[in-house]
Formats: sequence, C-alpha cells, structure tokens
Amino acid sequence: MCDEGGQCHLQNMTVASGHAYREYEAEKRRYQSQELGPLIRQEMNRCITCYRCVRFYQDLAGGEDFGVFGSRDRVFFGRLQDGPLESPLAGNLAEVCPTGVFTDKVYHQDYLRPWDLEESTGICPHCSLGCNTRPGAARGRLRRVRQRPHAEINPYFLCDRGRYGFRYVAAENRPRQAQAGGRSQDFDGVLDRLAARLAEGRTAFLGSPREDLDSNLALFALARVLDAPFAAFFEPWEEAKAREILALPRPPAPASIPGYEEILVIGAVERVAPTLPLFLREAQRRGAAISLLRCLPSAFATLAVEDHLLPPADLLDAAWDWLGRRHHRPFLLLIDTESVGPELLHLLRREIGTWPDGSGILPVYRQANLPGASFYAVDGHASRLRAALAGNDCDHLLALGQDPQEMDLPWWRRHGDIDLSLIDHRHSLSWDGAWLTLPCAALSERPGLYYNGEGRLQAAAAAYTPAREERRWRPELGPFPLAAGGALREEVLPSPMALCRALAERLELSERWQERLRFYRDFLLRAAPRPGDPGVFLPEELRARFRLHSAPPPRATDQGWSVCRFSHYGEEELADSARELHSLAPARAAWIAPGQQDARHIRLRAADGTSRTLPLRALPGMAAEVLAIPRAELVFLGLRPGDGVEPEWLD
Amino acid sequence: MSLWRGLLASLWTTLRQLRRRDTLEYPEQEPKLGERWRGRPVLTHDPDGEERCVACELCSAVCPTQCIALEGADRPDGRRFAQSFRINFARCIYCGLCEEACPTLAIQLSPEYAFAKTERGDFVYHKEALLIEGTGKHPEYRYYAHAGVRTQALPKPVHCDPRSNLP
Ligand code: SF4
Ligand code: SF4
Ligand code: SF4
Ligand code: SF4
Repeated sequence: MCDEGGQCHLQNMTVASGHAYREYEAEKRRYQSQELGPLIRQEMNRCITCYRCVRFYQDLAGGEDFGVFGSRDRVFFGRLQDGPLESPLAGNLAEVCPTGVFTDKVYHQDYLRPWDLEESTGICPHCSLGCNTRPGAARGRLRRVRQRPHAEINPYFLCDRGRYGFRYVAAENRPRQAQAGGRSQDFDGVLDRLAARLAEGRTAFLGSPREDLDSNLALFALARVLDAPFAAFFEPWEEAKAREILALPRPPAPASIPGYEEILVIGAVERVAPTLPLFLREAQRRGAAISLLRCLPSAFATLAVEDHLLPPADLLDAAWDWLGRRHHRPFLLLIDTESVGPELLHLLRREIGTWPDGSGILPVYRQANLPGASFYAVDGHASRLRAALAGNDCDHLLALGQDPQEMDLPWWRRHGDIDLSLIDHRHSLSWDGAWLTLPCAALSERPGLYYNGEGRLQAAAAAYTPAREERRWRPELGPFPLAAGGALREEVLPSPMALCRALAERLELSERWQERLRFYRDFLLRAAPRPGDPGVFLPEELRARFRLHSAPPPRATDQGWSVCRFSHYGEEELADSARELHSLAPARAAWIAPGQQDARHIRLRAADGTSRTLPLRALPGMAAEVLAIPRAELVFLGLRPGDGVEPEWLD
Repeated sequence: MSLWRGLLASLWTTLRQLRRRDTLEYPEQEPKLGERWRGRPVLTHDPDGEERCVACELCSAVCPTQCIALEGADRPDGRRFAQSFRINFARCIYCGLCEEACPTLAIQLSPEYAFAKTERGDFVYHKEALLIEGTGKHPEYRYYAHAGVRTQALPKPVHCDPRSNLP
C-alpha cells in the first residue's frame, strides 16, 4: 500500500511505457527503512536512485543530517541514525521524491487517495512570506497542504511550518463551543450577552495581525460605529514595529533575493520564515556576499563572508557600521523583526533614500497579515486602548484572533478585573478564564485576504467545510447524501465576519456597520484579488501615511545580560497547536552560549516581582552574555528582545 | 414448401416448450445460480484468517457508481487495513469491477442477491456487515505470498547499511 499511488511518477512512466509485468529475476535488494520523525515516512525499497532527495536536501536546503550512503546496488538515502530530520524544509522530500520513498506521514494518518481530495487555493497563514498553498480536503476534513507555485514568493517549496502547521484545525483542544464564564452555552445566548455588554459602551476592541483583512475590518467597523477604542496590537512596542514595517518602501519579493550581490541578514530569519534560506543559498551560489548579524546560531554562519555574533542591543550599531561602508551596488537587508526593536527599522527606513537604487529592506515576522490588521490601528492605538482599559472608560475587552494575555502578562496581572471576551479558533492562554468565548471558523475554513511582508494582498479560498461523518444515514439529516451512504453532518463555526454582523444586528446598528465596512473595504481594496491571482500591492499612498510621525521609539537599555527570543522554526501561534510539528519543539529552557555558567537553572524576575525558573541549556554558536528564552517566558516576565536582565543562577 | 416447413418448425419449437418451466415459485423454490453469478460484494479473509483488504482504495476508484468508501489505518506491525469500509448497495450495479480491481482478492462478489430493505439507509453496509468469515472463492490466495513486504517472514536486510562505507 504505497501512499504515492495516484501521484507517482514511476508508476505513471511504467504504465505509459507498458512495462506492466516485472521480468527481473535476480534477488531484489532490500533495505531497512529509517524512522525519520513525525513528519516524513521512509520506505526505502521503492527508491530508483534518482538523487533528487539529496540534491534538494543538501544542495538547496543546506541540510546536513541527511545524505546518500553506500555505492552501486547498496546506495541508501537517509540519515546516519533514525531520528527526526532537522531541516525545516524536510517536508519537501515528500514532494521531490518521485516515487513513494518519502511520503507525508501526517497525511498518512488521515490518508485518502489523492484523486479523492478536493484541492483549493490557499495562502499560508504562518508567516509574513505568504507562500501559496494547495490544501487538500475530503469528507469534511483537511488532510494535507502542498505548495502551489508562485513565481515571486515560493516557486517550488514550502517549509514544514507551512506544510504541517494546518493541523491546528484538528487540535484536540480546539474550541468548538461558545462559553460564558467557562460554561458551554449556545451561540445565540452568548451573542446576546455580548451585544448587551457592547451596548453599555464600555468595551474596547482588539484586532489581530494573524487574522485576515475582512475579519479585522468587520471588528474595526463595529468599534467605529460604537465609537469605542480599537487597536490591532496589545503591545505598543509591537505596534510601533508594525508601523515601521508599513512605512517601509515596498520590499522586494523573496524570489528576487538571489539577484542581489550584497545581503545583510539581521537576526534569525530562518527561524521566522524557514523558506527564506532557499533564496539566500541561491544568492550565495550566484556569488552574493552575505553578511550576518546575529545573536543566535544561524544556518548561514559557514556561508557568510562576514559573521558578527552580538547581543541584541548591539545589532543596531553593527548594522550602522555595515551600512557606513561604501556600497555601490544595490544591496538587501533581511531583517528578522522579532530580534530587533522598532528603532532599528525606523532608522534604516529613514536612511533608505541614500542607498544605491534598487536596494531594499525585506522584514520577516510571523504574523501573516500584519499590514492588513494595522492600517487603522497603528498610531498609538495600543497605548490608548490600554489607557482606556486601565482608566475608567472601559472594563471589557473584545479580542478577535489574538489573546491579549499572551502579549503582555505583567499588565494583566495588574489589571485583573477587566473582563475579556475572545473570538478565536485556537485554545489560547486566556480561553478558560475569559468572560465570554466564541469559537470561530479556522482560517482554512473560510475565504480570506492577507497582506504579506512585501505588501502584496493575496486571497485564499475556503479549503473545506468541516463536517463529521455520520456512519448511518438518517432521513432527518436531509436527502440521501454521499454516494457510499452515511452522511456528512456539517460542523460549521461562524466566521468572525458573521459574528460581527450578528452583533451589529443585535445592536441594531446593522446598516451603519455595513456602510462603514464598505467604506473601509473600498478604500483598501480598489482591486481585490481572487484566489489564485498573483496578488495586488499595497498602494503607495497608504504606505505614505505611515511615513509621517517619525519620532524614533526609545532604544532598549543594555545592562550586562540581555535577553533575546528563542524560537523553534515550527513555532507560531497557530502552528503551535499542530500536534506533529509541536512534538519536534525543544523543551522549555533558557539557552546560553556554552561555557558561560555552571548553573543548571536560572531564575528571572519581572518588574512586578513575579519570577520564573527555567532549566539552563547550552546552545553552541550563540553570543556571550545573552539569554535566549521562549516567547511565553518573555511575555510572562514582560521583557522584550534586547532588554537587560539580572539573572539569578541556581543549581 | 419452405413456408410450411418454417411454420411447422416454429410450431414444434413452441410445443416443445410446453413441458419446460423457467419460472420458479420464488420464495419456496431457490433458483440454481451459475458459478459466476454476481451478487452482493463481500470482504474476505485470507487462509491464515487475516483480513485481506489493505485499504488501497482501488475498488472505490474503479467503482462506476462510486458506492464504495473506505479509510485505511496502520496495524501495529505496519500492515495497512481498512479502518472503515462502506458500500451503499442501493447504488451498486453488481458490475464486478471492484472485484476485478482488487489486488488482494479481498472484495468478491457473492451469490447473495436477495436483500430487500424498506429504508434506503439500510442498504449502507459497513465493514462489520461486509466482512465474512472465510476466504470466499479463492481459498488458497495469500496476497503477501506474492507481493509486497512480508511482515514477519524475512530476516532483517543485511546489506545497505548506511554506515558501511564510511571511514
Ligand atoms: S528522491 Fe526518492 S527515488 Fe529519488 S533517490 Fe531520493 S529516495 Fe530515491
Ligand atoms: S515560509 Fe512562511 S509563509 Fe512560507 S510556508 Fe513557511 S511559514 Fe508558510
Ligand atoms: S459491483 Fe460494481 S457497482 Fe458494485 S461495488 Fe463493485 S464496482 Fe461498485
Ligand atoms: S481493492 Fe481490495 S484491497 Fe484495495 S481497498 Fe478495495 S477491497 Fe481493499
């Protein structure tokens, strides 16, 4: 039973050339296949020794833990030992291998022959590149995601986060019931209560940079007709960063990276956008000089002509030094915006006019629709929202697709009396303690519009309608449904747009809400792309709006040890709930350069006195006097990358 | 002349049929079915008592009325089996293409033809109802003796150790 059946090049060629019967008499070689982790399955007996897998894995993706061993009839493609493949691009093996040697293990669990899948046109929601995908679903379940080539963004490949992150839709704890005060209730009841609360006029609204454009606009329009504060970010720091990102001149497309001769990489871009290294390697093969400024280990350390290992606070000065040299040809800055603050982006953006023509900055971040969320809520809105909540104006926050407690916990510890209502498709930190919760359809279950990091607006179609299979047909479920009997009972959750509409109706503001929505939509989307289109670009006049008000945000202070964010390539809010991908994430720890401390644990204190103890691990190849800690811990302590800390070493 | 011959011949043929009767008193009298009669498909076991079906989905692909739906899963020893198998006999036309397509001879058309129902939903047979005890019409056939991996029989492969030619 080969999973490749139905999409196997070898089988197709065999049938096409008429070699339907085997005439090989000698003993067939046999292999012991390897166990390659939760994402990829190997069945080495099907190999035709075409070498596509190594050529991809080693030459294109730069992976080092997979290769070809042996010679003549003993040649073997795999790892030295069993174990998960380390490259964040390993999932592509299932696509490059023309036969069924490498197949998709996640798809295998929910396998249906590829001819039975209904494929649609999707956009990857897991980082700012916005790779094009082809989700395949059947019988009410999403079963796999494959790449859909886009010449400018992802000509051939997807990263594992994009390929396997979709499994958040099947997370065991994915919310499906509306709740009030932790108890399940029907949608209507919860909506009624929410509408009554909104009518009191003491509610603030929070959008989300990972939700699609329309959902954000729907919530924003609702906030507007209610005259309530709205922000897309809960963290002013993040918001300032988003504003700087929006204010950049149009960034180059990822596929144009190999055209640059000089590239400066700031931060761990391959952890944020794991497909990006493919382009960087291509550039390096064509002779580009890559310079690195980093505090975490990087896959490019061996390729770069220049490699600076620095604490996060020094990145800015180092970038400045690099820029200060004479550059005659256009160059490119690739910035991992998670390791730098808004100030670096701000200063670079102001300089960009003096650079050689054609130079550009390509920022990467994990929120797939950050520009789409922040148009109307980027200028100090987060601070105003917080002020309204902390003061007497508001005592209720309605958040869509974002968990404000996951953005800034110390603030919430101080303001524990604020009621929180959530609309989300993921079980987030505050879900169980929230006042009201409304689950909504996942991103692949509804159409959506996303602005990626280049400011390209792309449309995704709904990939499937979630449904549960009823084993027997019962007349009350409707007319006799599937050819093979049984029935699909649809389990559709409302989209955020539908929820906002329902709220507007209950508040009897439907018309004004729609009018607002249409107004914003017309303003932003003079030509809305359709799913499958290459996308349209953010109009320059919108970008220009963000170039005003350009006081640089304050710089982080450097005192002794500083923190940076440690992240796993498969980590992103949604992809975190994808079980198979998450099983590869490293254990929670604080990471430091080897030989710096003998302690085994570390305690970090937040400004409000709470503390966190983490096991301490050595991470070769990172900067000295830097502590890399996961995002959840940074948020718990209220720290940002680059902040100084005074660690307490424990045994 | 030939006209009379023709008339007499046909009259003779008619008279000859008087004693024969093809119509049966059906529920009391069972018809005698030909060996290749195509009735309701069943799923069979191999001679060792293992389920034959490996969930390759070829039968459902070939079925012209699309009345077969199944989903596979892995057994602990790595062999694939049909976790669910469903045939809607309200659609089946007993064409036998599924039997033809099945590489493991798991699905076979049985002689059963009389299974009237009053409700359409009752025509949907699940695996429990499809799977019969025995081997059906192929008492000797073991798919795994002819093709594919043998789950226990072979010793571990000796060559092709990836480390074999490392320094
Ligand atoms: S791509 Fe597949 S068939 Fe080709 S050498 Fe690699 S494992 Fe073998
Ligand atoms: S690089 Fe980003 S957008 Fe592309 S597949 Fe990976 S996570 Fe998705
Ligand atoms: S006999 Fe024909 S119609 Fe009936 S299940 Fe088999 S292939 Fe389908
Ligand atoms: S063709 Fe045979 S082995 Fe394949 S799924 Fe159908 S019954 Fe099972």
